[in-house]
Amino acid sequence: MPTKADSQDIPKFDYQEVLRDVARSMVRLKRPERLLKLITRFIDRQFGLTHTSLLVLDPKKGRYVFVNSKGAKRLPVGLVKFDIDHPLMQWFSGSKKKLPVQKDFLFLSDVKKMLSRAEFRMAANSRGDLLAGIQKTMQNLNIELLVPGYFKDTLVGLLMLGRRVNGRSFTTQEVTFFQTLAHDCSMAVKTTEYNQNLIEQNQELANRLEEIERMRAKEQRTYYEIMRSLAEEVHAKEPYIFSHVSEVERLGIMTAREMGIGLSGKTKDLLSAALVLHDVGKIGIPDSILCKPGQLTPEEWQIMKTHVEKGARILEPLTDFKKVREIIMAHHERFDGNGYPRGLKGDEILIEARIICVVDSFHAIVSSRCYREGHSIDYAIHEIQKCAGAQFDPVVVDAFLRALKIELQKKGEVPSSLAEYISK
Amino acid sequence: MSKLLIVDDEVEICEFLKSFFEDRDFEVAVANGGSQALEKVAAFHPEVVLLDIQMPGMDGLQVLKKIKETYPKVKVIMVTAVETQEKIEEAMRFGADNYITKPLSLEYLEKDVQDKIDILAKGF
Repeated sequence: MPTKADSQDIPKFDYQEVLRDVARSMVRLKRPERLLKLITRFIDRQFGLTHTSLLVLDPKKGRYVFVNSKGAKRLPVGLVKFDIDHPLMQWFSGSKKKLPVQKDFLFLSDVKKMLSRAEFRMAANSRGDLLAGIQKTMQNLNIELLVPGYFKDTLVGLLMLGRRVNGRSFTTQEVTFFQTLAHDCSMAVKTTEYNQNLIEQNQELANRLEEIERMRAKEQRTYYEIMRSLAEEVHAKEPYIFSHVSEVERLGIMTAREMGIGLSGKTKDLLSAALVLHDVGKIGIPDSILCKPGQLTPEEWQIMKTHVEKGARILEPLTDFKKVREIIMAHHERFDGNGYPRGLKGDEILIEARIICVVDSFHAIVSSRCYREGHSIDYAIHEIQKCAGAQFDPVVVDAFLRALKIELQKKGEVPSSLAEYISK
Repeated sequence: MSKLLIVDDEVEICEFLKSFFEDRDFEVAVANGGSQALEKVAAFHPEVVLLDIQMPGMDGLQVLKKIKETYPKVKVIMVTAVETQEKIEEAMRFGADNYITKPLSLEYLEKDVQDKIDILAKGF
């Protein structure tokens, strides 16, 4: 049966309950500062010490600083630091085997005892120096007991405890309790640090991805510009007043608008690029075929037709405009299915390709080529109308001619062939 | 006994450093502000002053300037929480004998104060 004196030695709180509370707080708290403050305040109130202080590792600066201090002899937080080579840190960071006592905690009285041993006094060895440094620090800061907190092998912090105001010494049970709390503090600090690092790393990754995306977009832009120059080059020898490429682009956009195709951002960019680049593959066709004044031989036609695939291949690096390649592949398909290279029919042909087909043909007819003079607008309109439903999609032809009429009206030059067209 | 004046607007810091240096047989006075610091310098005649830079009202740099004008022999060590190069350069121009940034190492602080006392003892 415990004596009355014994029962007074039993603290007036339940250790297990406190530890459970701490564990619960650890899960709940995103920032460990509050938990560390809670623990410091708890020890200060329960044990009546001259001071309770927490020293924590700042891994970025490689030093230990006070984060909390309570009690009458409390230490000013933010004033004192300990570098990682300080005797205190060396003692607790060192390998356990080298130490004469369990390194799980250190009483000032033990340090004094160890120092008074002959071996330390006789030999001015490094452990003696270390202990002397520790004693000095403990006396400077009024520390009676040091309890380290580790995470894996890293010394994350030290719980620094002053004397008991009532003069009693700490029991083994109490020391064990402090050790558990110090361990919990370390876990909380380390977990938060990991989370913080993760957040920072993610941010850095996002920044880098953004930078890569910017560079990639710029590269795509440059490649597009090069391709555009190439496409212009195809027609460089032809005496167009305006660039064929720009004119086809303008007529194509105009037609798409008239058809009510939503032209915003990416859709417009895609159509523009396809209109501009549709003949870029002709750069790989010899001038002798490209500019031949007479009819092409069947062999020459076979070569001429390859400009479609050549164009698509040249544009492979333009990954932002994957669809442009598909459009270009289809711009010589015919509405009736007799086109090349695949013989697609009607709706199977991308609408952009059907538009290109019409506006490109129209502009080719009215323009002078290296082998002939350009025809009149009336003649071109007639030709286009004639081929609606066969080579051309009649809906596109309709829209194109309506748009053309509006444009010519502005100039006051509406040809009679367009009289019947009324814009929607 | 060597005389040390500690100037900091935080009372806890003053108290802590006072007891630290008293344990090392210094005679210590404290001041919690700029004008109080100047009064203490005049009355207490410290050999070394530990002077915080950031203080409300008259800041450490102004105090340093006044001390060095009137008592050029007094050694002044500036203590600063934020290490801004301009402030440090300004302090050195006004004649500060050293500067220490917070958080500080107690061992270094003790050694630096002792160094200044030793220099004074040699008559510099």
